[in-house]
Amino acid sequence: MVENQLRNTDPEGGGVPLTSLLPGERARIVALGHGKGQQHHFRTMGLMEGKIVKLIATQPARGPFVIDIEGTQIAVGRGMARHILIEKL
Amino acid sequence: MGCPNVGKSVIFSRLTGVNVVSSNYPGTTVDFTRGTTFISGEKFELIDVPGTYSLEATSKAEEVAQTMLQEADFVINVVDATHLERNLYLTLEILERKKPSIIALNLWDETKHLGITIDVAKLEQALDVSVITTCALCGTGIRELASKVGDAEPSKTIEPMSEEDRWLKVGKIIRDVQVVQHRHHTIRERITDATVKPTTGIPIALLVILFMFLFIITLGNAILDYLMDPLFYGYYGPWIVGVVNSFAPSGLLHDILIGTSTLESLDFEQSLGILTTGLYVPFGLVLPFVITFYFILSLLEDLGYLPRLAILVDTGLHKLGLHGAAIVPTILGCGCNVPGALATRILETEKQRFIAMTLMAISVPCMAQSAMIFAILGRYGLRWILIVYSTLFVLYIFLGLVLKRLIKGESPELLLEVPRYRKPDPVTLLKKTWSKAYGFLAEAVPFVILGIFIVNLLYVFGIIDVLSAVFSPILTAVLGLPEGAIVALMLGILRKDLAIGMLLPLGMSPQQLTIACIILATYFPCIATFVVMLRELGVRDMLKAAGLMIIVSLSAGIIMRAFLIGI
Repeated sequence: MVENQLRNTDPEGGGVPLTSLLPGERARIVALGHGKGQQHHFRTMGLMEGKIVKLIATQPARGPFVIDIEGTQIAVGRGMARHILIEKL
Repeated sequence: MGCPNVGKSVIFSRLTGVNVVSSNYPGTTVDFTRGTTFISGEKFELIDVPGTYSLEATSKAEEVAQTMLQEADFVINVVDATHLERNLYLTLEILERKKPSIIALNLWDETKHLGITIDVAKLEQALDVSVITTCALCGTGIRELASKVGDAEPSKTIEPMSEEDRWLKVGKIIRDVQVVQHRHHTIRERITDATVKPTTGIPIALLVILFMFLFIITLGNAILDYLMDPLFYGYYGPWIVGVVNSFAPSGLLHDILIGTSTLESLDFEQSLGILTTGLYVPFGLVLPFVITFYFILSLLEDLGYLPRLAILVDTGLHKLGLHGAAIVPTILGCGCNVPGALATRILETEKQRFIAMTLMAISVPCMAQSAMIFAILGRYGLRWILIVYSTLFVLYIFLGLVLKRLIKGESPELLLEVPRYRKPDPVTLLKKTWSKAYGFLAEAVPFVILGIFIVNLLYVFGIIDVLSAVFSPILTAVLGLPEGAIVALMLGILRKDLAIGMLLPLGMSPQQLTIACIILATYFPCIATFVVMLRELGVRDMLKAAGLMIIVSLSAGIIMRAFLIGI
């Protein structure tokens, strides 16, 4: 299952951007978009396909998102968050 | 070696013992530390490699890590047990290089209350190298780690593979060795979340900064008033004047050593002697504030608060062409611009680094400079200090807005791990504060003494008069300062704290002092910062930055003159 998810990372594969989550909501990451470099960067930070994330907080005036992934908090700029596609739980 | 924030530096200092300091924010160990250790009679040299998520060199830190790995005889890979999956990617990359390796599975104590179980034997089997569980902060597992270093062997099962396959392999190992139990939100996590939610986080941040400021001022002043001043005026002063008078009652040597100080009127601020002003400025006026600053900074650092601050200020800093992480070099710069400039390496692009360094050099005064500004302007009232700092703050914002549009290049977005809050270890905290304060003294004392020596020579040979005459049109006519201020401006290139001290004998009004302090803060970095910036930016960008500094400084000086003194 994980194998398929890793190979199938095109944005057409479904899912909505992380930016559509509201604080407190949980979602599963379905795809990481935009180039190998960014994908790699996301994965090294623990943002991987199949993982469950929870939105902790958003900052006003188009500030970054703070998400929790398996107990680690990560701050993601809004533009980048658009490239993380999720499926709400 | 290992990922950022896994406790490499703590393990390193546990293994090597003395005088090594670890930091909690990523990027600051790019200037790596080296140390030696004796393990079962054999001498090993250890290197604390900067933290990196992978060996694909995309940043300076990663390049450094890669070169070091190539040169190493063996590798201790520090892995965060609470984030095994993320850390294993780097582990695989290291093992693929076939160096004798050993793994320290750190933060082992924390896995228990996080509901994580890791089968260490299975992990060893999968990787084919020894895995030692450690808790760097409490020291468990370190001895075992040390004893196994000698037997480290390269992994036989891990072969070079593609990036895709590496991620798959990580996933497979994780499924085999790790079980995570789901837990509910604890109260501690709720408090943790409060510091990143804007409605609660921003007030908390303001309180933290206010507390930091009050702590430095109050405790710094207390040390100055109740320890340093009594020491200098009660004991050291009479003694040193007596000693110098006994072999050089007057003349050049007397003046260079203790200046105009006499037993009847001890004067540490204006006497301009190497052994009076030269020691009083760094030890008396500045050190108390440097110590308190680094204490509180190290505390926030070890707690893990700084990344939270970075999130809260991210939006604002974006308007200046930076992002939230730039707050770390900026706060470091409030201590000393040199580590501040080095820490800009955590920013991704050249544009960001240029903006961050230029803004810092212009409008972030170091603690030594701040201490002198407090000492000199404080006697005329808080108002003047506020004018200096608000001017610098306005410059920071204004310049950032301009530079964001002027400088070509990208300003990427924030992607930052927010480490869990950790309980600071008092011993590490004190060690860190001490080593930073010591670093300040080692840097400041020789330069201050050299500076005073130069001033004495300039006066003796009458060079000051010549310089004053040359620069007096700018200084008096344009900026409204006495022509003697040229001494301060010249010394400012050596050390800013001393330069501000040089303003005292000129008998200036508080308005003039305020203008002079603003100009001294902005016109050029001190030599130490200049050297680092030159190395980091290259000649061309440094020239650009220097041009900006002079323009900004002059304009700010002229505007403030019109404002405070009139035309």
